[in-house]
Amino acid sequence: MSMILDVATGGVRGGTSILYAGVGETVSERAGVINLGTEGSMLGGACAAYIVAAETGNPWLGAFVGALVGASLAAAHAVLVVRRGANQFASGLAVLFLALGLTSLFGASYVGESITPFQKFAVPGLSSIPFVGPVFFNQDPLVYLAYVAVPLVWYVLFRTRIGLLVRTAGERTEALAVHGYKASTVRMAAVVAGGFFAGIGGAHLSIAYTNTWFENMVAGRGFIAVALVIFASWSPLRVFGGAFLFGAALALGPALQARGYSVNQFALHVIPFVLTIVVLAALGRRTISSAPAELKRVFENAPADP
Amino acid sequence: MSEVTTASAPIRDRLAAAWPHVVRWGGAILGALVIFGALVAFKGANPLEVYADMWTSTFARPRSLTEIAIRMAPIMLAALAVVVPAKAGMINVGGEGQILLGAIAAAGVALLVDQTLPGTVTVALMIVAGMLAGAAWAGIAGLLRIGFNVNEAVTTLLLNFIALDLLLFLIYQPWRESAAAQPATRELAGAAKLPTLGATGVHVGLVLAVIAVIALGWLLVKTRWGFRLQVVGGNAEAARRSAMPVTWLLLSALLVGGALAGLAGMIEFAGVEYKLRSGFGLQLGYIGFLASWLARHRTGPVLISAFALAALSVAADSLQLDSGLPAATVNILTALLLMAVLGWTTIRKRKP
Repeated sequence: MSMILDVATGGVRGGTSILYAGVGETVSERAGVINLGTEGSMLGGACAAYIVAAETGNPWLGAFVGALVGASLAAAHAVLVVRRGANQFASGLAVLFLALGLTSLFGASYVGESITPFQKFAVPGLSSIPFVGPVFFNQDPLVYLAYVAVPLVWYVLFRTRIGLLVRTAGERTEALAVHGYKASTVRMAAVVAGGFFAGIGGAHLSIAYTNTWFENMVAGRGFIAVALVIFASWSPLRVFGGAFLFGAALALGPALQARGYSVNQFALHVIPFVLTIVVLAALGRRTISSAPAELKRVFENAPADP
Repeated sequence: MSEVTTASAPIRDRLAAAWPHVVRWGGAILGALVIFGALVAFKGANPLEVYADMWTSTFARPRSLTEIAIRMAPIMLAALAVVVPAKAGMINVGGEGQILLGAIAAAGVALLVDQTLPGTVTVALMIVAGMLAGAAWAGIAGLLRIGFNVNEAVTTLLLNFIALDLLLFLIYQPWRESAAAQPATRELAGAAKLPTLGATGVHVGLVLAVIAVIALGWLLVKTRWGFRLQVVGGNAEAARRSAMPVTWLLLSALLVGGALAGLAGMIEFAGVEYKLRSGFGLQLGYIGFLASWLARHRTGPVLISAFALAALSVAADSLQLDSGLPAATVNILTALLLMAVLGWTTIRKRKP
């Protein structure tokens, strides 16, 4: 039982960075833009948050600056893809490389530096509920913020005019023009918003979860987030569940090792990646048919020439 | 290469036609250099000195030219691994994993036979095994694409992480040479190491890579297979209507791409590293991806883009040694160049 508790608690803790990135990517993909640069936005967010937290001692300011850096990197992707018509996959990887270079240039002197991270605190009352309490309500503030932010994103996307604009930009761009909106502006805004969330995700990784910074620390979580959005069929609420599932897969290894099971760490580390592929295959045709129309075009007819 | 130019066109007209391209490319490269210089200056280094150091250490030392030649071979192959699927309209981001699988297969063969069989036989077996393993790894993404409609860009990317875990698993446990040393496999036997070209110090992998470029250039342009790939890449629906085996064409493009990446992993193992260790071939696949985009997915220009990126990676070492900046900083320059090429070197075809 304590094993299950550990994995579930670790799942929420380790899944939060993927959750933020996944929710951001949902917004971006709903507007018809897939952003592999999510990995780069997370990396930028993680590094910037760490630097700011180290310099100012204020993790909140760190998370905010991390989000802004994530948004800026996504803005580069938005300009390339929406304004300049660049290939979405190639542009996303270019953004990742930019982030890798920038974070190693600016982050190098902060490796090993100590910071004031976000502290865990137990929510009075809620944290004493058996099982649910320790798993969900004895976490850091960014986890609690996610409980609010994710339903909020769902609400904005599906119940407000702004959300309607975003979804229309991903489904029928002509319809926006008829009503006097520019699809390109809406899509750019959605991509930048996505990067903002990915930046917070990165910040959670560096100043709330691991409390450390090193080169390329995101290690594929951003890519997992992109894949997660696809099999969550572009719903922020399903991303919620999926992210914690992945977090749990990541938490399984340490939990087993702490109990003295000698399992090869790499055999466990591989689980979330294999799981992602298996789920994508299992849902394959069904999910793609429910994809936003503009996104479907990106998937099915990737241009051979830049 | 395949551009149509009439032989009778006066040189002046042709220059006039080329001029906008020169301006765009020149502007793109200059823009990238300026932004990178500004960032380096922001970190307190003199950008002009940094560029001067990068230039001299990359081109002015004979040893560096050898190093560039050695590094460009796997980049060329990794770029071709992107070029071939791209012709069919697919995006292979999995060079990284396919290279690792090629190297793992080559190392597996070596561990089994390099001390019993003659060197040339071992090399031949390693080439076959490396190419098959790379193709199989890409084939997983291919089958998922044609069988389950899962986008290959996403799966090839995820497969990279799985390949890395496989490599680490092998070198930490079953294939580890000694528990006392850093996790790595036993070194390849001397007879099975790729021979060098005369006294240059450049291993024959470069020759294999050049042959691959020429062969692919021919296959893609002159054969029915190559022609059909381009049709599928241009308009899959049209290809389907004209009764082309679209499914098979898509799969074959990924298999060939994977085999080329596998070969890249094999030559890196048998020509440079001689053992598997953590960090083997790091980022070669992604650099190959960039090389393919810089070359606009054409085989001939891959030679130039691979040379440029190999030179940049040698320059990255100088960045660390001479200017005290992290080697990964060079990724900024690479990314800016790619962004410039993606966004500013073509006249846009379609308004979004």
